[in-house]
Amino acid sequence: TAGKMASAYLTHQQKVLRLYKKSLRHLESWYIFRDIYRFHACLLRARFDQHKNEKDMVKATLLLKAGEEEFWEKQHPQPYIFPDSPGGTSYERYERYKVPEWCLDYWHPSEKAMYPDYFAKREMWKKLRIQSWEREIQQLQEETPADGPKTEVLPPARKEGDLPPLWWEYVTRPRERPT
Amino acid sequence: MHLATMFNSNLAVILLILATPLLMTLTPSPLKNWAIRVKTAIQTAFFASLFQLSLFLTQGLHTTTTSWHWMKISTFNISLSFKFDFYSIIFIPVALYVSWSILEFALWYMHADPRMDQFFKYLLVFLITMIILVTANNLYQLFIGWEGVSIMSFLLISWWYGRADANTAALQAVIYNRVGDIGLILSMTWFVMNLNTWEIEQTFSFLNDTPTTLPLLGLILAATGKSAQFGLHPWLTAAMEGPTPVSALLHSSTMVVAGIFLLIRFHPLIAQNPTALTICLCLGALSTMFAATCALTQNDLKKIVAFSTSSQLGLMMVTIGLNQPQLAFLHICTHAFFKAMLFLCSGSIIHDFKDEQDIRKLGHVHALLPFTSACMVVGSLALTGMPFLSGFFSKDAIIEAMNTSYLNAWALTLTLLATSFTAVYNFRITFYALMNFPRCIFLPPPKEDYSPVRNPIKRLAWGSILAGFLITLNCPKTETPILTMPMTLKLSALLVTILGLLSAMWLKTLMNKLPNKSPASNTMTQKSKIPMDNPAKIIFNFSNLTGYIPTIMHRMAPKANLTMGQLMATQLMDQTWLEISLPKGITSSQLPLTKLTSDIPRGMVMTYLTTFIFTTLLSTLLLILTQPDLPILT
Repeated sequence: TAGKMASAYLTHQQKVLRLYKKSLRHLESWYIFRDIYRFHACLLRARFDQHKNEKDMVKATLLLKAGEEEFWEKQHPQPYIFPDSPGGTSYERYERYKVPEWCLDYWHPSEKAMYPDYFAKREMWKKLRIQSWEREIQQLQEETPADGPKTEVLPPARKEGDLPPLWWEYVTRPRERPT
Repeated sequence: MHLATMFNSNLAVILLILATPLLMTLTPSPLKNWAIRVKTAIQTAFFASLFQLSLFLTQGLHTTTTSWHWMKISTFNISLSFKFDFYSIIFIPVALYVSWSILEFALWYMHADPRMDQFFKYLLVFLITMIILVTANNLYQLFIGWEGVSIMSFLLISWWYGRADANTAALQAVIYNRVGDIGLILSMTWFVMNLNTWEIEQTFSFLNDTPTTLPLLGLILAATGKSAQFGLHPWLTAAMEGPTPVSALLHSSTMVVAGIFLLIRFHPLIAQNPTALTICLCLGALSTMFAATCALTQNDLKKIVAFSTSSQLGLMMVTIGLNQPQLAFLHICTHAFFKAMLFLCSGSIIHDFKDEQDIRKLGHVHALLPFTSACMVVGSLALTGMPFLSGFFSKDAIIEAMNTSYLNAWALTLTLLATSFTAVYNFRITFYALMNFPRCIFLPPPKEDYSPVRNPIKRLAWGSILAGFLITLNCPKTETPILTMPMTLKLSALLVTILGLLSAMWLKTLMNKLPNKSPASNTMTQKSKIPMDNPAKIIFNFSNLTGYIPTIMHRMAPKANLTMGQLMATQLMDQTWLEISLPKGITSSQLPLTKLTSDIPRGMVMTYLTTFIFTTLLSTLLLILTQPDLPILT
């Protein structure tokens, strides 16, 4: 996302905030020790704060342009990347979790026999799912506003004996890293 | 006679022990705990190999055995031929010892991997091909081992095949090694065409007046690819995408030295050819210096160790160029111990810090993992050539040999500089990763008390301390070492290392001070002027981005190719041929005439009539004048 930070469809505020964040990240890559980094982070913050009340959009845009250019000049050639972030050293190390969960239904019986406990539970879950599916969908339909859901969070079960809507998704969600 | 038979059959025993787990795979009901079985097989093979080693050390036995006539093509024979000499007999136990430790470590490191058994089998196949390579007395046999280690390297680098970077790194390894293979195949072809043999020993006896520069250049190219010398080096650091045990085994201690080993095997040829020697010397010096420069500013723990491997390989190449194959071999053996240990220690840190391998985010490891840190320091000291650790015995001897030779002052300077850089980057690892306050996001509980972590590192630590001494003690000296030299030359290796260390410490004190000038706060309104020609920044970027070579070779060259392809497809084919030359060409040739003729008839009746009458009159007149006897006139 770093390359797309100052793309055309962001608001000015978003562009400034993203510039600030990536500048902090690169400062952190340059100044390894935390105390020195804090000092420079404070200076950077002061420089951003100095112009935070700028009302003239022409001036503000020029400031942003100068900031981006300065960032380009001073960026670290090898910025720190979190290991599990894109470009990091363990990003997408294990990708089995990407295999769709329904593939398990197509396993050969001999393969299924290697994990008897899991598949026994899975059969039980399937029955439960068939039983509760209608009620789950009904609850979702009732609770979703006409103009679409307000949040991505799924609601809990409301009535006693009901299962939370789409519980199957997180009960069968595979682990990202093997244990 | 019996002794020789036992001596020769020892390899068969080793291979049988190693192949047993692989053959057991074919049984209908595969056994469990495969990984431990593989480790045990290698451990047993190591102890079995000690028999051959002890016979060699006590009796001085070394043999060449041609055991099986493989194939015959008119007058050309290929047979299965083994060579048990100083090099192979010392290398096999070293490789087995290092592999045993690494595989034991991998039991812990890879314990969560769903395909752990397959991983161990890959490592085992790799080890078998490596043993085939070092014992081969026949180029064809050597080639099988050579390609075998390449394939296993490919499979192991791309172990985490879900990662795009791992796949790219594996492809890099394969492609760079294939460039090297061009050289090896060229040399093999030359040997067949000119000497009609692939037996390595026979090639030496035939050469009296034959010019050997071409096959030697081929062999040097092969070694450049396999041993990551300058030009074909980027694959080695990219190979760090593989799991740490793979980096430890393949890309530090065994596979990458195969190129140097090839040159050691062919040393009698190289020794007669000053051109080849000079190329080796200069190439090695350039490689060692370049890799050491790149290691200075890297932040990835494994990358630093990988660049140091590349640098040490350059040093081995320098030694070949100095006409000292035995010293190069000694450095291969000592390097295997401490480099494998450095990788295992890095692996231990990386695993405990939840895959964090950036030294900027480590720190204070010495308190969390004291044993690992202590061994890491031992490894670093051995690598820098601390007296009486194993690195000292090989590195010091190499630099002494170089100082007392009159070959090439440029190569000498580069190598000495690289030696001092070794101290700098090793200090950097110690300072940032092991010392200071913790900077990691996640502070782990110390977890180095497991025996699969401690024992392998401990064993390799003993190797890093004692191996140099033991091998030097038992190494038969074929060339007389120089016994007298000025004090300055004798101490130069140590001096440059200390100098490197001191400058690193000085740089560290600079790092800890806050800069005097804080960035001006009013520059936001103007365009900031940061001089691009700041030399420190240029050098830093050069080193940090590894000399821009990956960018040039992996980005700019393909981009130029793609751009050219795009131009060919869109502009040459589509635009020029399919548009301009035919449809548009016809259009443009027709258009002016059409326009001319279609512009004329536009409401000018008088002009038409005049033209019509005038042309009719003119033609009639002409007719009359030219043919006066026409019937209409009569």
